Amino acid sequence: MEVQDNTPDPKYGPSASMAGMSSIALVTVLSSFLASAVEFVEAVTIVLAVGVTRQWRSTLIGVIAALAALTLLVAIFGTAIVVFVPIDVVRIVVGGFLLIYGLGWLTKAVLRAGGARAKHDEAAIYEREIAALRAEPPVSATGMDWISFTVAAKGVLLEGLEVAFIVITFGASAGMVGPAALGAAAAGALVLGVAVLVHRPLASVPENGLKFAVGVMLTGFGTFWAGEGVGIDWPAGDATILALLAGYAALAIVGVYLVQARLTNRQLRAATSPAED
Amino acid sequence: MRYLRAFFGFWYDFLVGDRPELFAGPIAALILAWLTVRANLAAPLSGVLLFVLVATIGSLSIAWAIRD
Repeated sequence: MEVQDNTPDPKYGPSASMAGMSSIALVTVLSSFLASAVEFVEAVTIVLAVGVTRQWRSTLIGVIAALAALTLLVAIFGTAIVVFVPIDVVRIVVGGFLLIYGLGWLTKAVLRAGGARAKHDEAAIYEREIAALRAEPPVSATGMDWISFTVAAKGVLLEGLEVAFIVITFGASAGMVGPAALGAAAAGALVLGVAVLVHRPLASVPENGLKFAVGVMLTGFGTFWAGEGVGIDWPAGDATILALLAGYAALAIVGVYLVQARLTNRQLRAATSPAED
Repeated sequence: MRYLRAFFGFWYDFLVGDRPELFAGPIAALILAWLTVRANLAAPLSGVLLFVLVATIGSLSIAWAIRD
């Protein structure tokens, strides 16, 4: 298989200058960090619920197994994509996925912020998980508790897959899997550290706000890279990313107000219609 | 066969989920942008077109979600 020279385009890419490289790397780390933090907060809720209600040893073994699988996944697919796939193909396919994924996050965040969709409530999820786990058969006195292992591993793997997806897509499009993985690892360490200290779900993390910001970032970068992949010659080079982020952020904020206004109108109509009858 | 179905089912839920327009829309937008590039449309216009299309798809999806 032919190894690709995926050195970024000198006109736009991170090699344009050291400053350009460090700014792209910084944004890659930041985006990966924020996106991963949100997912790790969700994973920690599940892990805490399992550990508190059942057995910590089996829970932690499940977490380690899932993290090992995710690391392997990022290492294999991240490296394979960067080394073997031409950068233009990476940018169309991977940038396209980033755009699809980011737009999904952003529209959900707008609906949540506008009140049309329930906000993510870690405390409520924690209580639900605990109630479900208490309904399971009791923990055996000795040996491995496979329920703890399975629930914890599955929770971390599913939430972590989203992190892996973001790290691979974001890192591969920018040619920076390393910085993206670093951002994700830093988020994991921070969330895990805080969870160990406070020993309860991180309900006070502004998860919905973070998802909003991450949605804007993923959509903006996805548009930029997928656009480059289809041959768009962005007029301002890397600076176009800032314009795209600002544009999507402004539209999303307007969207939140429009959703709120629509729901308020609907409630007013519902409140007044019985009186008219 | 069961595992294969579960595998594809997982990825379908992961990428498409309950809003297929957010999957098909950006792909269609990228195809349109590619066509404008092939037609030698001025570079900034192709970029603006992609941004407008993506923003429109997002707006429509939100409007449909509220209606539902």
